Amino acid sequence: MRRRAGRASRGGALTGKLVSAEAAVAGLVGDRCEVLAIGGMHLHNNPMAVIYELIREEIRIKRLVTSPSAALNADVLIGAGLVDRVSTSYVGFEHLGLAPCFRRAAEAGTIEVESLDEAAITHGLHAGASGSPFAALPRGLELSDVWRSSPGSYRMVVDPFTEQPALLIRAIRPDVAIIHAAEADERGTAWLAGAPFTDRLMAMAATKVIVQVERMVSTATMAGKPAGSTIPGFLVSAVVEAPGGCRPTASHGNYAFDEPAVRDYLRAARTAEGFAAWLAQSVAAPRAINR
Amino acid sequence: MSDYTTQELMAVVMSRHLADGEVAIMGAVSALPLAACGLAQASHAPGLWYVAGGSGAVNPHLAPIPESSCDERLLDADAALPLPDVVMLEGRGDVFDVFFAGGLQIDAHGNTNLEAVGDLAHPRLRGPGGVGLPFLPLAGRVVIYTMSHDTRTFVEKVDFVSGPGFLSGPQEWQEKGRGNRRTGKGPALVVTPLCALDFDPVSLRARLLTVHPGVSVQQVREATGFELFAAERPEVTEPPTPAELEILRRIDSDGLLRRVA
Repeated sequence: MRRRAGRASRGGALTGKLVSAEAAVAGLVGDRCEVLAIGGMHLHNNPMAVIYELIREEIRIKRLVTSPSAALNADVLIGAGLVDRVSTSYVGFEHLGLAPCFRRAAEAGTIEVESLDEAAITHGLHAGASGSPFAALPRGLELSDVWRSSPGSYRMVVDPFTEQPALLIRAIRPDVAIIHAAEADERGTAWLAGAPFTDRLMAMAATKVIVQVERMVSTATMAGKPAGSTIPGFLVSAVVEAPGGCRPTASHGNYAFDEPAVRDYLRAARTAEGFAAWLAQSVAAPRAINR
Repeated sequence: MSDYTTQELMAVVMSRHLADGEVAIMGAVSALPLAACGLAQASHAPGLWYVAGGSGAVNPHLAPIPESSCDERLLDADAALPLPDVVMLEGRGDVFDVFFAGGLQIDAHGNTNLEAVGDLAHPRLRGPGGVGLPFLPLAGRVVIYTMSHDTRTFVEKVDFVSGPGFLSGPQEWQEKGRGNRRTGKGPALVVTPLCALDFDPVSLRARLLTVHPGVSVQQVREATGFELFAAERPEVTEPPTPAELEILRRIDSDGLLRRVA
């Protein structure tokens, strides 16, 4: 059931950025995505409405890049069998426990896990956002086993200034980033309420950016927002209005995470069958909500 | 019978370890370190600074203590840093005096593992991942806490080093760590439901510092998967004072630490 409802393009068009989740995914992600970045940290600001659309359209993700701490956002995509490789420093549910689908797939070997650390993700995105081919990481990080386990992204070289070993992280340049913001205007300028996590950085590093928001506002409302809390519209390809679209995760400035619903998910997703049933009930049904 | 919970006792032990004027940082599952920092700040260390994990909040105005390290309520704070700034500063190595850490496995030299139990390519248990644990050697000292004191958690050697402690011991630590002036002082304290551990300065192995009231040395040994240095009659952890409990419960107004774990 692939739909090609309208094209959303990056750039300075005055209108046309506000689209449905279907149109954003069809127009910007396509059938498969080489490098997809998803925003949100722990159970906060996970852009679930657009993620559910990726699942409904069965979009293949060659490499999924997360913030330093992913949760439901990554777990459902992995559970749906859409992810070939995940580059992450954490997929879990903090005080509520381990991520059931991530854990099952990693233990069964049905997904490739590229272990990174939070410095690699953050500085890798910095490099992507600033056009640098890589970033040098602080001395001392080489003492962990993480970099040795992921040679595709880390390299140990000789620092030409000091002749000491230096650990590098390859730039992360997502083809598409999907993030959540509280508000956006019709030109795509978005405001992130609460903590920005690495979501702004992700947007700046990506080629195309889909921003899911709680509500649309006028450009006048955007004026005077603190520096560092907004993403200018020229970086944004499409805006999807999805009130409540982070649920059951939290949306800073709007609602807290729904702990009973997350516990229900964790119970259901203990088995592949339970996850499939949860998916059928939670994701297949609410298509209408996201239009 | 005691009139405090194990988690309250653990928070108090962690709190007493913090000194006035220090700067502390923590990661996920942060209720205990938040409680410890809040208590220290309201008692013996009014000049303590602490950064609440991914939220970037600096000295959050606690009460209640949220369970998630990224809870928006933490941003009611003295200051807030965007997460990329926190990650930047973690790399400097001269900003954070204390780093709170946890692990699925914790070993005799204070290395921690949140990545995987067994072979990483075919893990018996795939953990969530270590997030910022590779930064541990760059902090002044490391405080490790866990609610699981058993032989699965406390092992001779971790299967994967997410958070470096004293590595394989004095020789490697001398070559690559502190001796190379690249790092802080390493792990300083481990707090569990049974006891507190510190590290022998020569062997750099964990040793019993105090047992919690009502816990025997035998019990700790049986729950620990490596040979643990311990005095015949170790000191008993000093229980929370009425003043400490009063402050702790004011901060922990939802009673997170009062719940039976």
